[in-house]
Parts: sequence; structure tokens; C-alpha cells
Amino acid sequence: MSKQESLSQERVRELENYIHISKNIIREAYRQFDPKDIRLVWSGHKDSTLTLWIWKETCREYGFTLPKAVTLDEGDPFQEVEDFLARISREWKIDLEVAKNEDVLKACNYTLNADVEVKSLNKRNQEELARIGFEGLERFPFEAESFIGNHLMKSVALNTYLEENNVKIIVQGLRWDEQPVRSDDPYFEEVEAQPLQPAQVRIRPILHISERSLWDIYHHYKLPHVSLYAEGYRSLGVKTTTKKMSDLPAWEQDLENTAERAGRRQDKEAAMARLRALGYM
Amino acid sequence: MAKNVILLTIDALRKDVLGCYGGGGETPFLDSLQNRSIKFTKAYSGGPYTQAGFPGILSSSYYLDFGKTKGRCPPGRVLIPEILKKGGIRTAALHSNAYISSFFGWNRGWDHFYDSMEEQVSERVPYIRAGEINRKVAEWFKRTLPNGGEPFFLWMHYMDVHEPYVPEAEYLEKVDPSLKISQEEMFQLFKNVVLKRDVSSKETVAILKKLYLAQVVEVDTAVAGFFRILESFGLDKNTTVIITADHGEEFGEHGGLSHDGKMYEELVSVPLLIYDPDLSQPVVWEKIVSTLDIPPTITEIFNLPPSPAWQGQSLLPLGKYAERGVCGEAIDKHGARELGDEKEVHYYREGDLKIHYRETDDSWQLYNLMEDPGEKNNIYGKDTTSEYLMKKIIPRIKRFKG
Repeated sequence: MSKQESLSQERVRELENYIHISKNIIREAYRQFDPKDIRLVWSGHKDSTLTLWIWKETCREYGFTLPKAVTLDEGDPFQEVEDFLARISREWKIDLEVAKNEDVLKACNYTLNADVEVKSLNKRNQEELARIGFEGLERFPFEAESFIGNHLMKSVALNTYLEENNVKIIVQGLRWDEQPVRSDDPYFEEVEAQPLQPAQVRIRPILHISERSLWDIYHHYKLPHVSLYAEGYRSLGVKTTTKKMSDLPAWEQDLENTAERAGRRQDKEAAMARLRALGYM
Repeated sequence: MAKNVILLTIDALRKDVLGCYGGGGETPFLDSLQNRSIKFTKAYSGGPYTQAGFPGILSSSYYLDFGKTKGRCPPGRVLIPEILKKGGIRTAALHSNAYISSFFGWNRGWDHFYDSMEEQVSERVPYIRAGEINRKVAEWFKRTLPNGGEPFFLWMHYMDVHEPYVPEAEYLEKVDPSLKISQEEMFQLFKNVVLKRDVSSKETVAILKKLYLAQVVEVDTAVAGFFRILESFGLDKNTTVIITADHGEEFGEHGGLSHDGKMYEELVSVPLLIYDPDLSQPVVWEKIVSTLDIPPTITEIFNLPPSPAWQGQSLLPLGKYAERGVCGEAIDKHGARELGDEKEVHYYREGDLKIHYRETDDSWQLYNLMEDPGEKNNIYGKDTTSEYLMKKIIPRIKRFKG
């Protein structure tokens, strides 16, 4: 379904039903938790923006208070995404906070591919490196989506923010069809505390919404999205390691038969890191 | 025949460590399965490491059939799920080995494919453990079984026997309670001995073997846990379970450790059991078979035609199996990676004789496995059948030489 064509009555009812399911999950969240303990993790990308919109609509309908949102600054942003976050948080009146691993950014002098001396990092970051299998590493180049960068700039940045703000409940815009690894995720998940990671509840209200349905909802409800999707980006990560897979707008690409995350990097990094640990590299 | 099929593969599991293949007491559960199984005593893998072994198990093809693809799954391989899908069989794969992950293209055709690549793992256990794979399989059963009665094919793969050998104390206790070694020390042995392929100390190699066996104990426990899950979902009576390994593991038998580009028995001779709840007594099958025979066996059980691209033949019914020689191939690798010049290694076995070819030094070896099961006494050139066996391998070597 492209942007120009209008949707059938039946399809619209289907989309309404998907949104209804999400709203019920959000209402359940309010039955269980206080909104001040919740953070909406909002990257400004398509999935978390849809989640935020449905959450906001649910609050409007039921008179709930909208929780704060948090976005990750991984040190390699698309300007378009930053502009979008600023504009939409203003228009939708979102209280948006930023989580980042300032220690790593300082160590590389805020410069991509600059070397980070491990001993110049704080104790927490050094412990985190050891935890993911890089004990004894002396330096690494700063990249946001290398195996190390992904851990320090995403997982550690978010965990530190949650600890400092005593937040135990996060909302994630994940979808079951996004990638096979997601197809087991539940709507509500309690994650037990682990070393360096506090216990968490993760709420995922749009798991059941497919990539196709997501775009149909964006167009039917005229929701705003980052302009990059219209330029052919299908799944957004950080700027340097996210590639366009086509010049067609994301919603006109062959969503059903090609991989959503093909333009992304971390899958390769993960595979390579595993092989290294098994002694193959 | 039963309704569903499960293929359970165990990475780097040597055949001779299983009690039912003459090993010690580390695998009581796996051994107990032989009472309702066809046990193949001469099953061979298409290669001595994961990238070389799995093309046979999952697509009935050899590692180098489509050129030297550095482990990637080329489009020409026809995977089991691609054929089963046409027959309306639901398929799922759950494992934790990067070499058969979506990154290398092995996710093609599956209804559900989990390779764990986005999970956080540790340096000492760089994969998702067998118990966790079991749990994910149980979740998949829970989610999909109520949806309809159509049969399923499930492939699951355990990594837990693979190095680094850092077993939990409870399992090491069962192998040698007198062996006192911390996990940190085990990990140091992995880095300083296994990765360096240092077999200079027989004592150290013996300790490594015990650590490996402790991991075998863990896997045996996980297989038992998995059969309990089958039972709890009522699948124990209508599911055939095929159990095998992608390759074995060397402990100094031929000067090395781990699994490099060699074709000796400790690496390419693998366990193979077909567990069938309808079998009333154990069957032992002594003909030479290949893990390339697994895909056509699975389609046979589902009563579907095999892919014409597949090179193996169905193991079932046993009486129709036409015994022939088996072969395998890989890229020579020593230490941790495939050698840059991509030289080949090959083997071929027929009857009691097995011939090896190594391109790196253009050398041939021939062994009579009946008289010399350890492959110590090279009789190449001394036996009149050398030439006949070489002729089986030479066309395979020549594929890439124009």
C-alpha cells in the first residue's frame, strides 16, 4: 500500500484493532505502575515514534499522565533525527531527557574513529568492557555501532541513566517482525538484576504491528516521521553505519521479502564477536 | 512413522565419548535413547568443522560445491526448510552458532529462526547455553502448537561442548572429583594451550579432555531436560528425533587440538541416532552413511519428495539404503582460521579403507581402519587399492582447477 492510495474499510478496521490492542497494554501498564517510574525510550525512529503517539493518545482518552521520554545520544547522530526529536517533543509536549555515555565521548574527544585509551575510561566502562569479553584491551576506535560501541553507547548509557534516575520500567518500540530474534519477546517482561544491570520491567506495546501495518498507520493517521524514510532508509541506526537499501521510500520497498535491517551493521559485529570468543579469529 | 521431526545437533561432539559408542559414563541419558533408536556406527560428516559440516546436515551438499564461499550459504544450496515449506510443514531453527547465523545466510526458508546473535554473552561462555535453547524451544511449542495440527520440523543445536572448556563444577565433579581447577584457570588453558594448539604436555591435554567431558555431561543433562519438555507438550509419542554432531574434536591424536582442517576419525566420524518412539527394540546399523543423508531422510519421514539438488540418500527404510563410499572436504586451517591461500583437504572412505588428500603439501595418506582405527600407520602406496581410492577424490579436487 503506498501513501497515495486510500485504505479499504476493512484494512482501516484492522489497523484500528492493532492500535486498540496496544492501548489495552498501555492501560494495563497504568494499572500496575506509576507513570513517574516509567520512561518511554524514544529514538525518533519509526517504531518508538509510533509507540509514543499511541501512548499519548491513550493518555488523552483516559486522562493519564504522560511519562517522561528518554533518548540515547550515541555520539553519531543523523541531523534529521535530532531536528525531528526537537520539533515533535515541542509539538507533542514531551518531556524528553537525554542519556549518553559522556565518559567515552570525552575519551575520544567527541570524534568518530578516534582511539579511546581504555585506562582513561572510568571504572564502570572498564568493567563493562571486561564483562563483554574485552578484558586486557588497551584501546579501541570509537564507533557507535561496533560491538564495543553498541554496548557502551547504548546498553551502558541507558542503564546508567535508569540507575541515576531510579527508573525501573521502560517502554520499547520493538516489533515481532522486525527481526527473527524479536519474535519471542513478550509485551511485559521482567528482567532480573544482573551484575551492572538493575532489575527492569520492559513494556512493548506495538510488538504485533508489522512493518507494513506501521506504515499504513503512519499514512492513515498522517503521523510525522523523520524525512530519511522517504529517502529510502528503511531502518535507522547511527549515521555512519546506516545505509539506504533503495531510493524508494521505505513503505514502497518490498517489505515482505527483504530484510528490514539489511542496511544496519550490528548483526555482522555480533557474529564476528562470537567467532572471536570461540577462538576462530 | 511419527508425525513431527526434530533434528538435534551438538557442536564438536566426538562419537567415542558417548557411552553407546564405547565411551565412559558421561552420557547416561543419550545412552538410554539407543533402546528406541537406530544407531549408526559408521556415520561421517562432510567436513571437520562447522562451516564444512553443516552444508551436509542442512542442505545435503558439500562445503565447496559452490566454490570457496568463506562460510556463507550460497543461493544454490537447497535448505531442508525450503523443501518442507512446500509440503505445509512448519519449520523452526534455534541455535547459537555464528557460523550458521543469519549473517552467513542460513536463515533462509525457516518460519522461525533464532540464532541468538543479539544476545549478550560472556567470554567464557560465548553462546546461549543448551538449557536456554530448551527454554526457547518450549516457548516456541507453547506459541505454535495450539495453532493447528500441522506437523513441524524443528532444528536445534547445542554449543556447550565447544571450547572454551569452562564447565561448571557440578559437571566436572562427575568426570573427576579430584581435579581441582578454577574457571579462571580453565580459561587460561583455553587461551594459552588450546588456541596455541600446544600439545607438548600430555598431562595438560588430559586435563583439557576432562574439561571437555564435563561439558559433555552438561549436554547430556540438557538432552534429558529437552525430552522432559517433549513429554510435557505430549510430543514424546509422535516425534522422531535425529541426533548427530557437525564434527568431533581432537585431543592430540594427530598433533593438534580443537578442530582444524584434518580428516581423521576424531573429527569426521560422528554419532548418529534416529530416535523413534515407535521402535520396540534397538537397531544397530553398521553400513557407512553420511550426514548428507539427513535431509532426504527427513523428507522421507514426512512423505515428501527430496530436492533433486540433494546428494545424499534417505536412510529410511534401512533395507533400501545403497551403501557407497563417503567423502568430505574442507579448507586447510591450522590454529584459528582458514589459511589464506584456501588449500583444500579431502577424505574418502569405502569399506575399511580411508584415503586423505592435503593440497598444502600435495600429500596422500591411506589407512585401514579395521587394523588401524587410530590412523597412525600410513599405507599409501603400499596398498594396491590406493589408485582406485585416489580416483574418487581427484575429480573433486579438480573442480576448481579448470
